[in-house]
Amino acid sequence: MYTSSPLFLLVLRKNISYMLAHHLIDPTRLAVELGYTIIVVSLCFIIFFKTREIYDLTTHKGIKYFRITFLFFGLAYFFRFLSILCILIKVTFDIYLPYNIFKIFPMAFVGYFSTMAILSLTYSTIRKELQIKHPLLLFNVIAVLISCIAFISMSHSLLIISQAVLLSFAIIMATRSYSKSRKTSQLFILYILFFLFWIVNLFILGPKRSLPIEIQIAFQIVSIVVIWVIYHKVTKWTK
Amino acid sequence: MDKIRRRRDRLEVVYDILRIIRQHHNSIKPTPLLRYSNLSSQSFSEYLSELLEKGFVKEITDEKGKKFLTLTDKGFRYLEKYKLILGFIEEFEL
Repeated sequence: MYTSSPLFLLVLRKNISYMLAHHLIDPTRLAVELGYTIIVVSLCFIIFFKTREIYDLTTHKGIKYFRITFLFFGLAYFFRFLSILCILIKVTFDIYLPYNIFKIFPMAFVGYFSTMAILSLTYSTIRKELQIKHPLLLFNVIAVLISCIAFISMSHSLLIISQAVLLSFAIIMATRSYSKSRKTSQLFILYILFFLFWIVNLFILGPKRSLPIEIQIAFQIVSIVVIWVIYHKVTKWTK
Repeated sequence: MDKIRRRRDRLEVVYDILRIIRQHHNSIKPTPLLRYSNLSSQSFSEYLSELLEKGFVKEITDEKGKKFLTLTDKGFRYLEKYKLILGFIEEFEL
């Protein structure tokens, strides 16, 4: 019989070990990822749409960069899930997909949108100290550059490192700004946590870097709480 | 007496102009509006052009050919939301 042939068993064993290595075939893990993505993406998009009116009324630059942060983060989380789904489809159904197709999502789209989000949120808080003539153009150049380098080199680690460097830059700039005003900001801590959880999420996406599901769920719950707090603060002023 | 006057930011100036129009039964001529708004004529022209362009106020002409400024729905909405807008900017340190 075909199913008992050594070649079939070899392919099956290879696929199972690949699936287990990625921990992606596990339905619980997939359900957790799907639920997490739906909640985070919904919250990000709700924040983006809820702030539309106050931006339309004021065309305030700070509000502009604040709201596009959540649009970009929503898209980054959406593409992060798509990339997981792509790998899952590939390993589950043994479909031939060129390496680039399922690599393009984490490397290009996730990298681009998350870089744009990190830069926009940082700029929204420190734009008074940091006068840039065409910020959006500059952010796009940086984001495209980072996603292109990561995509061409096919190095997932490079993307994590570049995002970590951006995060460090954001922390340094924000700390300088807050030390001038001599106030401790709850918001600053929220943003740092928000970025850190993103990097953890990016780390999980990498090949063979799965965390135990309990730890991953704990991270994701805390990350949802952080976004929920931001969402709650937004809804307080956008009734 | 405090001689140093705080410089109003753009959002506050817009609020003041719109509030003055509303206080005058939503109909005021440009010259008294300039006087009440406490702006230089150049700044006032710039703000007025912006408010007209963005649809916060509109110009109406009466039967005698006199021009008046009135608030649009968007203008009223700005006045209504102003405190929330300030709260939002402060909350997120924008």
